[in-house]
Amino acid sequence: MKKIFPLLLFIFCAPQLFAQHGSSFGLTYSISFPMGDLHDYTTKTSFRGFEMEYNYHIQPHISLGVETGWNTFYERVEKKTYTDGTASITGVQYRYTNAVPILATGRYIKTGSGKAEPFVGLGIGTLYVDRATDFGLYRISSDAWQFCVRPELGVILKSGRGVAGLISAKYYYAFDTDNLSGQPYLSLNIGLLWGE
Amino acid sequence: MVKKLYQWVAILMASGIISCYPKGADLVEELDLVYTNHDANFNFAGAHKYAIPDSVVEITGDVFNDPDGNHRPQFMPAATGDIILKAINDNMTASGWTRVGVNSSPDVLMLVSSMTTTNLYWYYDWYYWYWWYGGWYGWYYPCCYYPMYVTGYRSGSVMTQMVDATTTQPGSENAKVVWNMVLNGLAEGGTTNIATRVQSGVAQAFAQSPYLKH
Repeated sequence: MKKIFPLLLFIFCAPQLFAQHGSSFGLTYSISFPMGDLHDYTTKTSFRGFEMEYNYHIQPHISLGVETGWNTFYERVEKKTYTDGTASITGVQYRYTNAVPILATGRYIKTGSGKAEPFVGLGIGTLYVDRATDFGLYRISSDAWQFCVRPELGVILKSGRGVAGLISAKYYYAFDTDNLSGQPYLSLNIGLLWGE
Repeated sequence: MVKKLYQWVAILMASGIISCYPKGADLVEELDLVYTNHDANFNFAGAHKYAIPDSVVEITGDVFNDPDGNHRPQFMPAATGDIILKAINDNMTASGWTRVGVNSSPDVLMLVSSMTTTNLYWYYDWYYWYWWYGGWYGWYYPCCYYPMYVTGYRSGSVMTQMVDATTTQPGSENAKVVWNMVLNGLAEGGTTNIATRVQSGVAQAFAQSPYLKH
C-alpha cells in the first residue's frame, strides 16, 4: 500500500503542476488486449489499467513528452495437466502480468481541424513486465525490463476550457529479453488532457 | 471547482483500479497439486504385482529419528492412512494390478508416506522403511528423470514412491524409484474434506499416468 500513496499524490497534483501554457498532462483509463506471447499466457482482456502522459509542445502541432501507466492482466486457468518430459502436474493456475511502460514520446497533431484534433504518435523506452503464476501453494515469478516501441493513433476533443477529452489506441511492442519473451499488448484509452 | 472535480475523478479512477486488483484462490482445494513422474525405460506393461504396507509412514525429517529405539517410524492415524491406502489400492486394481504380500515376489513396492513440512524430502532416510522391507542404502531415480523439488509454504503432502522390486532387494544398494506421486496442498479442512481431496488427487495421479494401466 505504501507504493500507492505517492501514486495518488502524483495523480492529484499533476494536473496543476503541468497544465501550464505549452504543456499538457493526460490521464486515461485503459482497456488492454494481450498479444503475442502475453496472449499465450493470459488470453483475457484487461480492464484494469491507466496511463499518464506529459507533453511539451515545441510547435503547436508537435509535442514531446513522457508516458507511464499500469496494466494488469489476469486469468484463472481451470484445473489442467501440464506435462514436461516424464513429469506431469495438475492444478489450478492463477496468472498475473503487470505491465508498466516508461516511454519518451512524440506526437504529431493535426491542428486547426475543429474541436476534434487527430494525432499520431510514437513512444520509445522500456516496458517493465512482472509475471507471476500461482500454482498450488507455489508462485513462479519472473520480471524483465523490455525495450519497447509504441505507435499510437488518437484524437483530442477540445472543449476550450483548458481541458480536453483524449481517446487513443496504442500498440506496445516489446522485445525479447533473456528470461522472458516480448509481452506486447494493444490498449484503448479514454480520459482527459489538461492544458489544451 | 471544475479542476477539483477532475482531481476527484483521477483519484477515483486510481483507487478503483487498485481495488479491482485480481484475487487468487478462495477454496482450499484450488491450491491442491497432483504431481507424477516416471522412469520412461521401465517396463510398466510387464509388471503386474505390487506390494504395499498397511500403514502410511509419517516423514518427520530427512533423517530417521527413532527415539524409542523400536526401529519403527511414526505412522499416520489409521483413520486417515486407510483413506489414502484404499484410494491407491482401488486405483491400482482398476488399472489391472494385483496386490500381493511383500514376500510373494512383487514386481513393485508402493511406499506411501505423508509429511507436513516446508520441504519435500525426496532423499529422506531409507530407514523409514526398514521395519517393512529391510531397507536399502538410499534412493535413486533412473536416467533423465528427477523428482520435483519444492520448498516454501508449510503444506501437507502425500507421497508415493513405486520401487522396482525386481532389482531392489533388501539390503541392496539403492532403491530404484520408477514412479512417484505427490499430492500437495494446504493441510487444512475437516476429515471429510481431506478424504475427498485425497481420493480425487489419487484418481488424478493415475489418470495422468496412463502407462500404469494394463
